[in-house]
Amino acid sequence: MDGNAGDVGAVGRLRSEIKSLIVSELNLKGRDPETIEDDAALFGPAAGGLGLDSLDALQLAMAIEEKLGVPIPEGDEARAIFKSVRAIADHVAKVHGG
Amino acid sequence: MSARLWITGLGLVTPLGVGVEQTWAALVRGDRAIGPIGLFDARGQRVSIAGEVASIPWSSHVPGRSAAWSRTSVMAAAAAREAMTEARLDTRRARVGLVVGGTTGGMLETEQLLARIHAEPGRSDALAGMLAHPLTATGDFLHGALGPFARVRTLSSACSSGANAIVVAASWLLAGEVDAVVAGGSDGLCRLTLSGFNALAALDEVPCRPFDRRRRGTSLGEGAGFLVLESAERAGARGARPIGELAGWAVGSEAHHVTNPAPDGTVVASMIERAIARAGLVAADIDYVNAHGTGTRLNDAMEAAALARALGSERLRVAVSSSKGQIGHTLGAAGAIEAAITTLAVARRTLVPTAGLDEPDPAFELAHVPHVGREVPRVRAALSNAFGFGGMDTVLVITEPELVSRGQGRARAVPPRSTAREVQAVAVTGVSVFGPAGRLGAEECGELPGKRFALDAPVDPDAYLDAARARRLDRAARLGAVAVGHLFAQSGAPTADAGLLLGSTFANVDASAAFMRRIFEKGARAASPAEFPNLVPSAAVGHVSIYAGLHGPAFATADLAVSGESAFVQASQLVQAGEAPRIVAGAVEPRSGNVQRVVSGLFEQTPSHSTAARADLAVAILLEAEGLARARGARVLARLGQILEWRGDEADALASLRGPRSARAEVLLGRASAGAERLLAPTSWRGVDRVLCAPVLGESDALGALAIAVAAARLGAGLVEDALVLGLAKGRGFAIVLVRA
Repeated sequence: MDGNAGDVGAVGRLRSEIKSLIVSELNLKGRDPETIEDDAALFGPAAGGLGLDSLDALQLAMAIEEKLGVPIPEGDEARAIFKSVRAIADHVAKVHGG
Repeated sequence: MSARLWITGLGLVTPLGVGVEQTWAALVRGDRAIGPIGLFDARGQRVSIAGEVASIPWSSHVPGRSAAWSRTSVMAAAAAREAMTEARLDTRRARVGLVVGGTTGGMLETEQLLARIHAEPGRSDALAGMLAHPLTATGDFLHGALGPFARVRTLSSACSSGANAIVVAASWLLAGEVDAVVAGGSDGLCRLTLSGFNALAALDEVPCRPFDRRRRGTSLGEGAGFLVLESAERAGARGARPIGELAGWAVGSEAHHVTNPAPDGTVVASMIERAIARAGLVAADIDYVNAHGTGTRLNDAMEAAALARALGSERLRVAVSSSKGQIGHTLGAAGAIEAAITTLAVARRTLVPTAGLDEPDPAFELAHVPHVGREVPRVRAALSNAFGFGGMDTVLVITEPELVSRGQGRARAVPPRSTAREVQAVAVTGVSVFGPAGRLGAEECGELPGKRFALDAPVDPDAYLDAARARRLDRAARLGAVAVGHLFAQSGAPTADAGLLLGSTFANVDASAAFMRRIFEKGARAASPAEFPNLVPSAAVGHVSIYAGLHGPAFATADLAVSGESAFVQASQLVQAGEAPRIVAGAVEPRSGNVQRVVSGLFEQTPSHSTAARADLAVAILLEAEGLARARGARVLARLGQILEWRGDEADALASLRGPRSARAEVLLGRASAGAERLLAPTSWRGVDRVLCAPVLGESDALGALAIAVAAARLGAGLVEDALVLGLAKGRGFAIVLVRA
């Protein structure tokens, strides 16, 4: 099973862009952005996840607002959006599309 | 030497008022001084309220109202003068030391220069001015206005700086090297800290509400607090009266995370327990806690858990409050301001409140003092907590004078314990250097003088670091982590109880400039939350303590071009006083474009200094109590013989320097210096061989620390028997004698 299969078109490119942002903004040196699974947990100690923390979340929110022009709300809403690369891309696409 | 430390003077400048009495009356009433910022344009900031000092007492404290004085320095002068006046301290009749803690120094003034550089990139006058407000400046101005002081130390451990200044004062007094110390902290509000705390989403949109269930962050404040500390013996002899007593303390690092506290509070709990035990007390003797209580979700939860754990069954009796709902978080000043407030609470038998605490968080089992202060029959002993970025934590215990000897504490089971410990002999048990020649240990350092290296070779710390664990480290921290890692690998010393003191001349001037440039260009919301914690002067110390797992005392020292020497000397003094079994001391100076361009003028001018290329350099030196080092079978490279430190251009600074005890002696200098030769001329070191550390590894402000490392390595290799390291910068100097073990 390949979680990244079928990533074509605008949403696929958006996910790739977000993965690159995660690697560059959070200084994950040596990590190939494309090895980040679309549905992998970004935060917390979950197995297979990236193990990011609250300071990373703040940095990522700033970068997404600056680079993609989409503000990330605070609180519980942010937690849902930051669940995975897929969730972030969906949020960005929704704001762009709306 | 007296074991008792009296507090004989207090001085305060806070948003509630200038002076102790104004601040105290407003504190007890429950007044709050947190409102819209008027000091600078705070539009575009997510939160734009803070505690501002309304009227800065320029005229009474600043000779001629010189433009060179920063707001931070003026507040420091006002508070230090008030404390010295109350103590009736005469710096010409006693040996008086000065310790200043802070984080931003003259950043508010520097920001104005940065704005001009941003508008006109070619302005070299503004660029030069940018380096005119190093952290050291406040201590220098105080030395001129209120001194002379026998010694001056500038330190930063982020938000525990003011409390650590008091701990340094205590170590000096217990060693009997000074009669009194003026110690405290000062920090002015500035755009950089407001933008940074907003980026971290750490500020509440209303005045902060410590321990409240609705709390959403802290509020920033500004101010200064200073205390006069003296040994009871000497203070009593000159007729001084104690306001309170500094009875105990504990300093340590969580080594957990750069901005977040370890959530279970176990590290802080054990520090509270250590501080109480050191005072010769038990939890039942503590009547009040002035909490760090920032009002952030994480800090207050951690602190409440730590207090519950440390106070045990007493936790529902011991009153707890935080002053930050009234004055805001005064950062580098907070530890000192709040220690002064705690002293007043003890002396005046009055508990000060937590303002804004309408709905206490039901998760915390604490005896709060909401809204207004109240008088109580006695406050026998009180804690003052201060925690900083990087997990640098300090707990102070302040008691009624002579509480323990009067036997009025309930600590019958605990014998009154002397706060004085035996003066420890200090050994150097390892040295490590990382720079253009790669990673060097003791063996290579001994052979360093006279060698040549390609100074333009890339210095790549990442080759030696775990990429995942090091991802938050800035360049200074990476350089430091390599040197410190190599040091422990070579010396085999345990890391857990080791401290870390690193000197840094200009700290992160390039990164601070870049951080502000983004804000000028893109607005306050572009402030980088990940970058901000790297801008505090103690950032590298915090990162390295986390990376290497060091839990001992940790802070940065600053003293212009002799910052590394000041770190080494301070670490020696802390080991001598028994504050830690071992401390890594050294200096980390990444190559800086801004410093390279404008460094001249601030330092003693020598041709080598102004022309040589600056290089990345990190130096780490392991100091241990010699008895403990021998017990673990460590190889002792050198033993500390003598330390002299002075202020001013003293022709006879080396008058009490002991001579070389062997024909095989050397004088080690960071760089060639006419000033050093003038000082050495009347001493018996006059004809001794000179060893220069520049330009082997390039030009750097860490050359003084390099000279110490090379001296220890050469002693360890048996190349010499006796070594003098002389470090000089404008108006200050250190002489360090190391001898073969």
